[in-house]
Amino acid sequence: MSLLPAPLEPTRPAFLTRVTPAARLVVGFAWLIVDVLTLDPLVPARLLVAGIVTLVLWSGLPLRRVPARLAPLGVAIVGLAGFSILLSPANGDPGLAAVAALGPVRITAPALAAGLAIGLRIVVIGLTSLLVIAPSDPTRLADSLVQQWRVPDRFAYSTLAALRVAPFMAGDWATIGAARRLRGLTGGGPLRRLREAGDRLLVMLVAAIRRAERMALAMDARGFDSGIPRSHYRPVRTGWRDWVSLAVGLGVAVAALALPR
Amino acid sequence: MSADDPTGPPGIAAEDFGWTYRGRPRPALQGISFCLEPGRVLLVLGPSGSGKSTLARALAGLVPHVLGGTWRGSLRVGDAEIASTPARVLGERVGLVFQDPESQLVMARAGDEVAFGLENRGWPLPAMAARVPVALAQVGLAGFEPRSTATLSGGEQQRLAIADVLAPAPGLLVFDEPTANLDPPGMQATIEQLARLAGRRRHTIVLVEHRLEAALPLADDVLLIDEAGRQLAFSPAASVGPEAVELLARTGAWIPRAWTGAGTGAAEDQRSGRPPFAAGNARPEPPRTQAVLVAEALRVDYPSDGSGRRRALDGVSLHVAAGERVGLVGPNGAGKSTLLLALAGLLRPSVGRVAVLDRPSGGAFVDPARLAARRLAGRVGLVFQDPELGFVGRTALLEVLASAGAALRPPAEDRAPGERVLDRFGLAALADVDPFRLSQGEQRRLSLAALALVPPAALLLDEPTFGLDRRGTETVLGLLDELRAGGQAQLLATHDPRLLPACDRVVALDGGRVVFDGAPRAFLARPPYPVAAAWRAEVSLGSSDPPAAIPEPEVEPAG
Repeated sequence: MSLLPAPLEPTRPAFLTRVTPAARLVVGFAWLIVDVLTLDPLVPARLLVAGIVTLVLWSGLPLRRVPARLAPLGVAIVGLAGFSILLSPANGDPGLAAVAALGPVRITAPALAAGLAIGLRIVVIGLTSLLVIAPSDPTRLADSLVQQWRVPDRFAYSTLAALRVAPFMAGDWATIGAARRLRGLTGGGPLRRLREAGDRLLVMLVAAIRRAERMALAMDARGFDSGIPRSHYRPVRTGWRDWVSLAVGLGVAVAALALPR
Repeated sequence: MSADDPTGPPGIAAEDFGWTYRGRPRPALQGISFCLEPGRVLLVLGPSGSGKSTLARALAGLVPHVLGGTWRGSLRVGDAEIASTPARVLGERVGLVFQDPESQLVMARAGDEVAFGLENRGWPLPAMAARVPVALAQVGLAGFEPRSTATLSGGEQQRLAIADVLAPAPGLLVFDEPTANLDPPGMQATIEQLARLAGRRRHTIVLVEHRLEAALPLADDVLLIDEAGRQLAFSPAASVGPEAVELLARTGAWIPRAWTGAGTGAAEDQRSGRPPFAAGNARPEPPRTQAVLVAEALRVDYPSDGSGRRRALDGVSLHVAAGERVGLVGPNGAGKSTLLLALAGLLRPSVGRVAVLDRPSGGAFVDPARLAARRLAGRVGLVFQDPELGFVGRTALLEVLASAGAALRPPAEDRAPGERVLDRFGLAALADVDPFRLSQGEQRRLSLAALALVPPAALLLDEPTFGLDRRGTETVLGLLDELRAGGQAQLLATHDPRLLPACDRVVALDGGRVVFDGAPRAFLARPPYPVAAAWRAEVSLGSSDPPAAIPEPEVEPAG
């Protein structure tokens, strides 16, 4: 009764799967900054091309499953890009020709361009996040953060444990909903539905807290956070692939910004 | 830090040990005094809420170093006084395995999981790399390092949890109901693992366990605790006196069958050859034949990872008659939960039909999946394994009234029927208490009480006695008997063989198919798929039972 989509994982070893997550995070962060902080739609377009090339050649991810994985972004694209097209002040400029018009609503070329640029940015955000997160599992991400960036063990591995129980929370949510339907409590007006969802969330949070308490106790029983410096079973070392991907990745970010039109 | 502890297993010495959790009026444990020799196996027995888990937590140092409260007396493991020994030192000597595999496995892969405890203790990498495969091999999971912990079976997960605590080579192993959450094969695997550990005599072992027929033969000594956390007796397992057994029986705890033959009063309730709830099982009339709940040729497919689909139910047909209680059994993954969801109309089968009688008195059959939620109540009810997830009311009374569609603050005259139900279920004093604050047994009773004001024609139950002691189990079954006497059809999914004699019929699922449909006795005498000996031993068929009288069950080959 899994409610969460199966995670997208590499199906073959590839360059990016051997780059440490910390290095991917640095490059990804640079790309996101460049992507979000520029107005020129050419910049996200260049990043998109670079991202797609990386995805195809070096990610090891099953390409056929990528569109489905990014599909939830569609909502954001339609919403944000659509609004910015419809509400752009350029539409009110009588000097500009309308590309399309429906009754009083006019859409001008600059509005359309601005909207498409926003949509492009959102796609790049999604693709970049995928290239940062998907090539290695959460365990390796935690290892990398702890060993390369000195993130506290307590934080990294507690978060990891929380991730592991997240699917159970989804199961709880379904069970709570089922119980409420069988008690005749679902349905009714919107206000009633809202209150109902709130009650359901409350029960799920109680269950989640109980589960977290049990997990924390089990971790304590095994000496977690007992004051002894932890050792590492899965050593993470910065290798040549990290330097290469940092150089190339940051180079792409700079090039996307600085190349002439 | 060496894998073989040169000092050997430690003994345990308790002197007037007691513990009160912070914010609780009464102690969880009090006056515990015993001395366990090194290398022996101690079985702790007592009713629900008797502080058995507290003792396990104290031995591992979680009490008092992690959980807050007031300590009394002395509890020593070897030469270490728990209360004054730092948790990190105790961690070297004691390993604790919990009940629920889901919430004690931390890492995504089995090898990382075993290494987690070693990392916490600062073991160097070469020592860990050498130790992890050894610990996995010790529990029969050699080569499991890269396996995902989430895809392991319950029994494998619990054995992995045992490997976790074996890895740092502690001298004392503590098990807190390690088989409670497991299906019969998982239980068997875990019990066999415990037997191997006990046989090696390399560890001192403390075992808290409700499945006594399997656990008692492993024990050298037993510690008996009453409902207030007081010690009733400590003695070698082979020489427990009848007075001690009688005292324990009065607390409502489960009693091993070997102890019940003495002819003592309360202990006799659980005599072999009879289910402990014989009174509830005695029925004045056979079940009526009017079917209330019907499933025809159900097929349910779940999308699985990658390509293809996993068939959860494959041509399952089933009917439950008015006033009939059917036990639903089968290993994990056999399709029990899916069947319950489909019967409740919460999951639409890809092929087949579910029908429930519109009114308990008769009428037409309706598909529960097509009924509006408002009309569903009173027709199909489902009691979940975790009662908390099903609670909808802010107080016990509102919980009971919710099914009748009562307002948040019902006027006094509307409260009366709800109060009568609470009284019937022994919850009258708790009418205004938040359901989440009730004890495990009280929550169970409330989850049934909530369905008593408007009793559904068909009641589906998922492990309704999970975690309850003998008294709690008897109470729940007694309440179910009352509802059944009113003509309710009941389908009870369980891993606990002790419940089957209280059912009118047993339906067994394996691999999504019905592999048995017949009398409980016939099922227990000749299960249609290999079931664990340890599981079957939990319920006795009685010596007076002539084998020839057992009808040949209709068995389809599994798989």
